[in-house]
Amino acid sequence: MALVLLQDVKKYYFLGGQEIRALDGVNLRIDEGEFVAITGPSGSGKSTLMHLLGCLDTPTAGRMEICGHDLSQATSDQLSLVRNREIGFVFQSFNLLSRLNVVENVEVPLIYSGVPGRKRREKAESLVRRVGLEQRMRNRPTQLSGGQCQRVAIARALVNDPRILFGDEPTGNLDSHTGELILHMFTELHQAGRTVVLVTHDPDVAAVTHRVIEIRDGRVQREYDPRVAA
Amino acid sequence: MNLFISLETGLREIFSHKFRSFLSMLGIVLGVGSLIATMAITGGIERGTRAFMEQIGGLEMVNVVNKEISNDLQDFWNLSPGRTLQDAYAIKQAAPLVSHVSPQLDLGLPVSSGGQTMRVRVSGVWPDFLEIARHQIAAGRFIGDLDVDRGQRCAVIGNTIAATLWPNLAPADTVGQTIYLNDSPFTVVGVFTLYERDRDRLARERGLSKVEEDRRERRGTRPNRGDPFRGKNEAVLIPFTTMFYEFKSAAFPDNSSDTVPIENLTIRIGNLKSFEQALGEVRKALEITHRGVDDFGFDTREDWFDQMEQRMRSTRTSGGLIAGISLLVGAIGITNIMLASITERVREIGIRRAVGARARDIFLQIIVESVSIALMGGVIGVVVGFGIVQLLTLLAPGDSEPFISAASIGLSIGFAAVVGVLSGIYPAVQASRLDPIQALRYE
Ligand SMILES: Nc1ncnc2c1ncn2[C@@H]1O[C@H](COP(=O)(O)OP(=O)(O)OP(=O)(O)O)[C@@H](O)[C@H]1O
Ligand SMILES: [Mg+2]
Repeated sequence: MALVLLQDVKKYYFLGGQEIRALDGVNLRIDEGEFVAITGPSGSGKSTLMHLLGCLDTPTAGRMEICGHDLSQATSDQLSLVRNREIGFVFQSFNLLSRLNVVENVEVPLIYSGVPGRKRREKAESLVRRVGLEQRMRNRPTQLSGGQCQRVAIARALVNDPRILFGDEPTGNLDSHTGELILHMFTELHQAGRTVVLVTHDPDVAAVTHRVIEIRDGRVQREYDPRVAA
Repeated sequence: MNLFISLETGLREIFSHKFRSFLSMLGIVLGVGSLIATMAITGGIERGTRAFMEQIGGLEMVNVVNKEISNDLQDFWNLSPGRTLQDAYAIKQAAPLVSHVSPQLDLGLPVSSGGQTMRVRVSGVWPDFLEIARHQIAAGRFIGDLDVDRGQRCAVIGNTIAATLWPNLAPADTVGQTIYLNDSPFTVVGVFTLYERDRDRLARERGLSKVEEDRRERRGTRPNRGDPFRGKNEAVLIPFTTMFYEFKSAAFPDNSSDTVPIENLTIRIGNLKSFEQALGEVRKALEITHRGVDDFGFDTREDWFDQMEQRMRSTRTSGGLIAGISLLVGAIGITNIMLASITERVREIGIRRAVGARARDIFLQIIVESVSIALMGGVIGVVVGFGIVQLLTLLAPGDSEPFISAASIGLSIGFAAVVGVLSGIYPAVQASRLDPIQALRYE
C-alpha cells in the first residue's frame, strides 16, 4: 500500500519577481514497510521535498497523497492533523523544547491529539524507556548530549505510533559514532515494520537503506537499491 | 488542546519571567485597584444615603409646602387660608393612598429640667408623626390620640435632649421626669433612640478619646458637624392641641386651632408604587381647603437622590478615568509583553506546529497566557483596592463608610479578564499565523 504518492509535484518560490523551482515535477511512490534515503547535491530540493512529505507545506501544483489523505489542497488544520497522527518527524537540529524535560517533550504531540494527562505521561515514559533514556526522564534537553537529544526526538516522533517516520539529516549534527547509533535505531525501527524515509548527504547512511532516491534540480534523477548496486 | 494544558504552559511561561510578567501586570493592578476603590466609595455613598433616607422618613415621606403664587393670581391670594389643620383632616378623609398625616406647629422655647436649660424647637404634632419621621421609641411611648384630644401636657424627647437635660440619668430613665417648656411643666412620656451615622457610631464604638475629639473639633473635622440626625436627636414633641392652646393661641387671638397657620404638614405615602396617584389625591383634597388657590406644593425626597447622584458622579468620573487609563495602559503592556514573548518563542511555536498543533491551539495558548497575566494582575489589584479603601478611610473619613461588595470584586476581575482577552488577540493572531517552516528555521 502506498503511504506516499506524488504525481508531478511542483513547488515554486517567488523571490523578488524571480521564480525559483525548488521542485519541478516530482513523481514518487513509497510503500508501507520501505526504508528510503533521499539524496542529492545542496540546493537540489531535498528539504523542500521533505517538508511536503512531512505535511509542513503544500505543493504549488501536482497531486500529493500521504497515508491515504489527499493533501494537494489541504488546509492548515488538515495538515496539522496528519502531522500529528500519521507522521513522525526527526530533525537535524533535534528541535526539542528547552523549557520542558525529556518526558514532557515526548508528551507534546499527545497533547495535541487530546490524550488525557495520566495516559499521556505513561505513554511518553514508555517511549523514553524504549530509546534507553529512563535515567534521564526529568532532565532538560540542555543537560543531554546530542545523541541523547536525538533519541528524545525519535521517541517524540514515535509517540503517536505513526505509520511513517521521516528524518531530515537526522545524523547531520552528530559525530560519526553517535550518528551510527542513531542510524541503527532507524534500521531497527524499519526492521520492526515501520516505514522510514531519511534525507541525507552521507553515502554511508544511504547505504544502509533499501532504496536511494537521488534528486537534482527539483526532479528525481535516479533511483537504486544500494544493496544491489554495490 | 485542552485548556488546562494551555494554562499550565502559560503559567510556566509567566513564572519563568517573574519580574517581566509583574511589570506587565502593573497597569491592570492599578486599574482594578482604582475600580474597586471607586465602586467602594460610590457604593458607600449610595448605601449611606439610602440608609440615612430611610431613617429620616424614606421616599414615602412628603412635605406639603407653601408655594409662591404666580403674579396674575395675586388677587386671589386672600381667598386661601394657607396650610391649616383643615388640610390634615381633608387629607385624612379624602386621600386613602396616604397612610399617615400630621400637621405641625413649631416654636423655639427655653426647655429645662429644673437644672439645665437649653433653647430648642418644640413641635406640636399628631400621633402619625412617629411613623412619618420614622422615629423609634427607646423608652416609654409616643403621643397618643387621647393626648391630642385632651391637650395633655406630655412630651416625647430626643436622645440628645434627654442626655443634656439629665446628665446623670441614662436617657431611657428620663421617662416620667418633668420637663419645663417655657416654665410650663410637661411629663416626659417617651424618649427616642439615638440616631447616628455609620461613622459616628464607629467612632463611638472605637471609643474616640476626648483629646482626639477636641483635635477634630479644632481641625473642623468633628464628625458631628452638620450631623443630619441632629434635628431628630434634639426633637421635643408635644400634642398638636397642647402646643396651640399653651403657646400659640395668645399670638393668634382670632384663630381657633383649626384655622391657625401651621409650620409644617407632612404625609407618608402608603405604597411607593402609587406615589403619583397619592399626591394626586392630596392635591384634590387641598384644592378644596385652599379654595382653588394654587399656593401649595410637594417637597419629596427625590432631590436627596439627585444630590447623592451628584456626589457619586464626581467620584465615578475621576475614579473611572483613572481606572480606564490604567486598564488601557495595562492592556498595551500585556500586548507588548506577549509580542516580545512570541518573538522569543518563534521556534517553540514552529516545533509545536510541526508535531501537530493547529493554528488555533497556538492562538488559545497565547490568549490563555495573556488572560492569566491579566487575572493575576486583577487579583493583586483587588488586594491593592482594599488597601486604597483603607487608606482613604484613614486619610479622609467621609460621610459614608466605603464598602467593597462581592459584585464589585467580580466586576473588576471580569474587566481584567476582558482586558486580558483583548490585549492577547493581536499577539495570538500573529503567533497562530506563523508559518511552521519559517518558524522552525528561525534563529
Ligand atoms: N522559502 C524559500 N524561499 C525561496 N527559495 C527557497 C525557499 N526554500 C528553498 N528555496 C530554494 O529552493 C531550492 C531548494 O532548496 P532546498 O532547501 O530544498 O535544498 P536542499 O536540497 O535541502 O539543500 P541542502 O542540502 O543544502 O539542505 C534552493 O534553490 C533554495 O534556495
Ligand atoms: Mg536541506
